Amino acid sequence: MIGDSLLPLLVVLSSFLVGVVIFFLQESRVVLRSALNLAGAGAKLGLVGYMLWGVLNRNDYTFRHTVLPGFDLVLNADALAMLFVTLSAVLWFFTTLYAIGYLEGAPHRSRFFGFFSFCVTATAGVAMAGNLFTFFIFYELLTLATYPLVVHRGTPEALRAGQRYLAYTLGGGALLLLGMVWLQTFTGSVEFVHGGSLAALGTTHAAELRWIFLLLIAGLGVKAALIPLHGWLPQAMVAPAPVSALLHAVAVVKAGAFGIVRVVYEVYGITFAQALGVLTPLSWVAAATILWGSLRALTQDDLKRRLAYSTVSQVSYIVLGVTLFGPVGTVGGVVHLVHQGIMKITLFFCAGNYAETLGIHRVSQMDGVGRRMPWTTAAFTLAAFGMIGVPPLAGFVSKWYLGIGALQAGMDWVIGVLVLSSLLNAAYFLPILYRAWFRLQTQPWPEEHIPVRGRRETAWLLLLPPLFTGGMALFIGLFAAMPFSPLDWAQLIAAREYAP
Amino acid sequence: MTALLLAAMLFPLVLALAQGARAGAWAVERLAPWAPLPALVLALMAPTGTIFEAPWLLLGSRFGLDDTGRVFLLLTALVWLLAGWFARGYLAGDAARARFRGFFLVTQAGNLALCLSLDAGSFYLAFALMTFAAYGLIVHSGSDEARRAGGVYLVMAVLGEGALLAGILLLTQLGATTWDFATLATGRIGGVAAALLIAGFGIKAGLPLLHLWLPLAHPVAPVPASAVLSGVMLKAGVLGWLRFLPLGTEALPAAGSVLMIAGLVGMFFGVVAGLAQRDSKVLLAYSSISQMGFLALGVGAGLVLPGAWPLLWPAVALYALHHALAKSALFLGVGAVDRHGANRVTLALLALPALALAGAPLTSGMLAKLSLKGGVVDLPEPWPSALAILLPLAAIGTALLMLRLFVLLAHRAPSGGPARALLLPWTLLVVAGVLLPWWQAAITDKVLKPGVLVDALWPLAVAMLIAWAASRWRGGWPAIPPGDLVVWPERAVAWWRARERPARAAGDDRSFWRMEHEPLRRAERKLTRWGFASALWLVLLVAGIAGLLR
Repeated sequence: MIGDSLLPLLVVLSSFLVGVVIFFLQESRVVLRSALNLAGAGAKLGLVGYMLWGVLNRNDYTFRHTVLPGFDLVLNADALAMLFVTLSAVLWFFTTLYAIGYLEGAPHRSRFFGFFSFCVTATAGVAMAGNLFTFFIFYELLTLATYPLVVHRGTPEALRAGQRYLAYTLGGGALLLLGMVWLQTFTGSVEFVHGGSLAALGTTHAAELRWIFLLLIAGLGVKAALIPLHGWLPQAMVAPAPVSALLHAVAVVKAGAFGIVRVVYEVYGITFAQALGVLTPLSWVAAATILWGSLRALTQDDLKRRLAYSTVSQVSYIVLGVTLFGPVGTVGGVVHLVHQGIMKITLFFCAGNYAETLGIHRVSQMDGVGRRMPWTTAAFTLAAFGMIGVPPLAGFVSKWYLGIGALQAGMDWVIGVLVLSSLLNAAYFLPILYRAWFRLQTQPWPEEHIPVRGRRETAWLLLLPPLFTGGMALFIGLFAAMPFSPLDWAQLIAAREYAP
Repeated sequence: MTALLLAAMLFPLVLALAQGARAGAWAVERLAPWAPLPALVLALMAPTGTIFEAPWLLLGSRFGLDDTGRVFLLLTALVWLLAGWFARGYLAGDAARARFRGFFLVTQAGNLALCLSLDAGSFYLAFALMTFAAYGLIVHSGSDEARRAGGVYLVMAVLGEGALLAGILLLTQLGATTWDFATLATGRIGGVAAALLIAGFGIKAGLPLLHLWLPLAHPVAPVPASAVLSGVMLKAGVLGWLRFLPLGTEALPAAGSVLMIAGLVGMFFGVVAGLAQRDSKVLLAYSSISQMGFLALGVGAGLVLPGAWPLLWPAVALYALHHALAKSALFLGVGAVDRHGANRVTLALLALPALALAGAPLTSGMLAKLSLKGGVVDLPEPWPSALAILLPLAAIGTALLMLRLFVLLAHRAPSGGPARALLLPWTLLVVAGVLLPWWQAAITDKVLKPGVLVDALWPLAVAMLIAWAASRWRGGWPAIPPGDLVVWPERAVAWWRARERPARAAGDDRSFWRMEHEPLRRAERKLTRWGFASALWLVLLVAGIAGLLR
């Protein structure tokens, strides 16, 4: 069908067009802007839903446009792409709702929502890129689209964070470009195919391929916040809460992790990467990042900063899963792409609610907040327990598969890392919950913006998104074994990756 | 029967959710004490083999009733039911009783569900639910001691969860392909996995050195919560051992011996530390450590000698039932004495479970100890001869503890708290403790021989003698702080915090984990410095370009 090949393009364009129109809207056109935003998000959800069904039935949705000879723009909706696109489409919808509530009455909303839409456009492109070139284009677009969001507030702190963000990510982009160009001198255009396409070069160019792997991973590792490339992330948390939510859960950090998934599985191929011996060092870096992020999170009093370091740690679960040779490890890594996103976006929504409703920014100000905002705190509790990996929440499922995958790959030490990381997660999340639920309020809230009205603890648009995503974190863990769960989809991806 | 199975697990959970959402408060308050009723009916009536398969739940779940599960479900449901009933009267004047009820119901839901879980994933889920919700019961009073106990409890619980996760995952390494207990039990198990599982559940079961939370947490919780904590939730650890360890199929002599020795140490340590207490609830908590030692001994013996497991299994089950009923009756008794004062009725009712615990003739304790002794006779030497000396000594110790409990409680005046409707549930529990073990025990024909009765009687007589001598003693009474060894790690933490920088300007975070240590900060600053990042970048870039142009 001719329409089928346009579907991936439509998914990308749905948010792009919305973004363009919103730029030209007057600041005061709140209703129209919100309607456009939601229409874009809704349209994307519909398209993605339709494509999901098709991909399951092995329909091929590929859009190809030759830019230069040898440089094709390819958008291809394979199972892995759909996982990421679905995640971003669903979470974009909730983040849009949340952002509308969060920025009510704030200045520069047209600019914000314009770039916000571009950001999601780029994410969809990253997800569906069918070759390294296309991936690179959208990956860089993502950098440019997020910068204005990071500095949105315009404070000196935000500008400094933006500067750092730009320096890190553009630097990473340069390394990625270099790696890509080097690789293309051997192969021509690097298409993403199941099982990778480089195995044939293994005998002649092993050393070069290892270097290229290093360059690619370093370039992607900046966004995935692998240590020591994570310096930008804790600073970027000065951005408004919806941006942090998007940055940490859907767009930027995920794009990096997703890129690593692509490079390992579909450029090198997991079997070949294993044979080259590049997976083990990557697993060490991932393990170090997991522990380092958690250790740093322990000591942060600023809530969003603590969450940011938690992201550093959690995203590396994905990378770690990728390095575990074997289908179960793959399932663990890939499924955490979704699980981490849903749990982390909930945490950032809640952090935003505390800040917007009561002016709470620090963990030490949270005494007794569970009584004042029980629903927000309930969502936060679900997500936090999920991060620790307590069953039946989503994080438990990831950890379970990562652990079994590690054992199958003969990397028993990973169990130690997983358990230690869970303990550290408990050590920095449980005190927050303790303060919120079990301590009594000792001081007045820093700035109470939104008073209680009956049983409504804050604005509906702020409350509903975290409740939905928090509920999802529970639901996709509790019903992980159901068809169409993220776990089910990750198993489909792993089956296709390891199929002979 | 499947409907009853589901009701047994879901009824407490639904009530807890309604409580949490503040929906139907009137109905919830009246229904809450009856939450374990479906589970109790299930344990008494349902045929073995009632199964509910939920392949869509979590990692694929199976719930059902087997022989092991039935005993544990019976004791769990019964104690929760009567403790919940007791709680209604006991906490009638407590302003925060709604919150207590919520945590009580969630803990209960987890505890009941774990008795019915037939696969590792759901067991772990139910265990975690119970463990984390019990925190709310422990810190209920909000006092400093409660918070301290809650903190220690949580740290140890989280460590236990970690050990369990690692242990369960390691089971896969040796060929476990499904998580069903039926197939898991036939798989082989590695030494590390066994150690992690023993320790992970051992924290819950109060093995010595892993017991630190127990003497702190049990006394600070309100009486009905202490009763379920000490009576049934410790048994969840034992059930974990029974479910995950290859009992009866594979010999693990090293792990088994360690567990047996730990049990023996616990038996005597619990007595010594318990005798040094002045608070009756702390004494009972230490008595629980001592009693759990008997169960650890039985399970350890099963690991040493798989052939003895068919004899040991009923003994362990019976001991679990006996201790659950007796210990929770004692805890409720302490609450009843507190409200009604020490009078003939309360002391007489208290004496029954106390005698049972001490293993007096014709009590459940005698039955349980007898069947345990029957299970360990075939062990390799030196176990049988050592146990022939040590078990009567432990019985003397338990009897001394119970006497000490009476000394502490004998002159208690009513405290004036609400006392309505406490005696009935307590009496029912005492009566159940007297009768039920006889129904469970398969060896009742052997107990009415004179030699057996004398064997049960003389440790009691010796204990009386020692107690009489002690009453003449005019010297000081030894004192061990509740929580004993926990004092050391606490001091270490305090020392660590004292040397922490006084950098409180940034925010006054006095949480347990506030450890803004300088080395970590410095390392992070170095890692994220411009110089470092750009140097790294340059090196990679130059190397890459050089490689490309070569």
